Amino acid sequence: MAFDKMELNEIEVWDGNFAAAQALRQVQVDVVSAYPITPSTPIVEGYAKFLADGYVEGEFMMVESEHAAMSGCIGASAAGGRVATATSSQGFALMVETLYQASGMRLPIILNVVNRALAAPLNVNGDHSDMYLGRDSGWIQFDSYNPQQAYDLNFIAFKVAEDHEVRLPAMVHQDGFMTSHTAQGVKTLSDDEAYGFVGEFKPMNDMLDLENPVTHGVQTEEDWHFEHKARQHHDLMTKVFPKIEEAFDAFEKLTGRKYNIVEEYMTDDAEVAVVALGTSVETAVEVAKEMREQEGIKAGVIGIRVFRPWPFEYIAEAIKGIKALGALDRSSPNGAMGALYNELAGILVNSDEKAVLTNYIYGLGGRDLTKAHLKEIFKELKANADAGKPTTELQQFIGVRGPKLAYL
Amino acid sequence: MLEIRWHSRAGQGAVTGAKGLADIVATTGKYVQAFAFYGSAKRGAAMTAYNRVDDKEILNHEKYMKPDYVFVIDPALVFTTDVTINHKPTTKYIITTHMSTDELKEAQPKLADKEVYTVDCIKIAQETIGRPIPNTPMLGAFMKVSGMYDIEFFKENMKRVLAKLPQKIIDANMLAIQRAYDEVK
Amino acid sequence: MADNTMGWDEFEIGAMLRSFDGPIKDIALTPQEERNYSPNNSFTASVADWRIEKPIFNKDYCIDCQFCWIYCPDVSIVSRDKKMLGVDYDHCKGCAICVEVCPTNPKSLLMFPEQEDEEAAIASWPEKEEKEK
Repeated sequence: MAFDKMELNEIEVWDGNFAAAQALRQVQVDVVSAYPITPSTPIVEGYAKFLADGYVEGEFMMVESEHAAMSGCIGASAAGGRVATATSSQGFALMVETLYQASGMRLPIILNVVNRALAAPLNVNGDHSDMYLGRDSGWIQFDSYNPQQAYDLNFIAFKVAEDHEVRLPAMVHQDGFMTSHTAQGVKTLSDDEAYGFVGEFKPMNDMLDLENPVTHGVQTEEDWHFEHKARQHHDLMTKVFPKIEEAFDAFEKLTGRKYNIVEEYMTDDAEVAVVALGTSVETAVEVAKEMREQEGIKAGVIGIRVFRPWPFEYIAEAIKGIKALGALDRSSPNGAMGALYNELAGILVNSDEKAVLTNYIYGLGGRDLTKAHLKEIFKELKANADAGKPTTELQQFIGVRGPKLAYL
Repeated sequence: MLEIRWHSRAGQGAVTGAKGLADIVATTGKYVQAFAFYGSAKRGAAMTAYNRVDDKEILNHEKYMKPDYVFVIDPALVFTTDVTINHKPTTKYIITTHMSTDELKEAQPKLADKEVYTVDCIKIAQETIGRPIPNTPMLGAFMKVSGMYDIEFFKENMKRVLAKLPQKIIDANMLAIQRAYDEVK
Repeated sequence: MADNTMGWDEFEIGAMLRSFDGPIKDIALTPQEERNYSPNNSFTASVADWRIEKPIFNKDYCIDCQFCWIYCPDVSIVSRDKKMLGVDYDHCKGCAICVEVCPTNPKSLLMFPEQEDEEAAIASWPEKEEKEK
């Protein structure tokens, strides 16, 4: 192929966006169809620049909306190319209709979602509203906590999504600004290592296979629709986790970096733990260590690495023996308990584990989650563990101005 | 853990400066973080950028920081914003100004009991680079005040960070860094 | 049509339909009747019973202009090497668009009741219409 390779330092200081753009270059994405939006813009911009500078052989499609961006990705993927794009927030929301098309058509598109709040009021900063909006769309959702992981998980996402046993699109999430615009050391793969790990794209039922013509995007009514959705759900429930495990193992062999479907930090002997997504996981790990050293509270952290499919059994295993759990949701539940709370409650309800479960809503629109907040949360969880029942309301808002906001 | 807060105007290069510093520090085997507070920022709007440096992996992603160093790269921000917010007794300030340290402390009493160093990064940048981009001279001054790295080592690495720029601009930046290193008081 | 008693685990993923059973080479040069259409392909489904009237083709007046072939919404005009051969009665729904667009005088395609005998229809074909001046 006609493109130049790029020499990278062993460690580069990259923000999450540039790390993701580099990953798209290294796997030689054939088509990026994009409508840029803050804070994800530098990902597709980065790919376009690599393309213009001759470091990747592919196509960059400028379209007129995020709906069209994902539609372009769907067309290119059905045609038989390796396809990726990036979006955030309102752009993600506009893309939702086509997300279901992509997953239903079993097209292994990689979407980098730089998590950002949903308006109104308008806000460019990071929370998990858009990630939560995508959780029933039939995509695999990987979650990164820092730029290194945003880089690594892109390779893993391509490898898993494109596997013919899987053939499902995947999102790689990173926190807007907190990861996307935060530069940290990123251990790089060489171009050959990266491409070798993901491998050459293997098309399946591609429209450009002229000897085997296929129709994509068919209509089914009540006679067929249910069976197709059932098949998709079955594959998400049974085929995806084994393939992710395989990819995580292969990635560890290549780089020494070990990922897990559910990341557990100090949970072996933990009495209390928080369950979280994104950068908050890492801040919570630092605070949990301090709680152990300074307060004698056996604190742990459970980080969700794969948000969809929901790792029910992995979490059931991770929470064993923990007496109080705090579900940290960075999205306004707007009249309900937070999503993580509900999903955890679903695991606890038929289990022998009797952890006290409470819900914390935090960080909306990029509001800082400070170590001080997390210390308070761990102390409250300890009180719940000691009492064997909730000592606070079930749902509390953390870091919001005004009178204390708590419910139920 | 070493923590730095930059006070700047959008467009003056604080983010580039913070990332450049992080880049150089990372080559010495330390762990780094460089980030900024963004809003729907317009060029000229006051903004802050941040560095964290540590010997072990940095897990903390909170934006709240009690900085060890405060860099102010625009002279007016000392008066229009609170550059001492979330300070600790040991916080050191390196401030761009045409004033001497004593004159500045007199003009802004909040700084009176603080450890303040001054250097005119704007003037240096204008005279060397030809544009009021005070980020690289600030790092020269920081090398002097902190003694973090030998200035020659720092300049060599900075050349690599700036490698995409024309040679003339790189040379001017080296001059700016050295002048700020020599002139900070 | 495909067997709609199939369960969720019995078909290919992606709600994708194959046009043919097995690969096909030189599709453009392979006549329809020789293509190995898959049961999923609508070519294998007959809509003949949708018709109330059928078009009958009279080659005596046809000038091979191909209008009917172009306009037929169901690709049911059979033409080879730009020679009109007749109507594919498995897929013709009797819409009469071919008759409408036929430019000859008298028309080379006319609608007749479904049960009409082709020879009898051609025997009773109308004469050329004199245009009023």
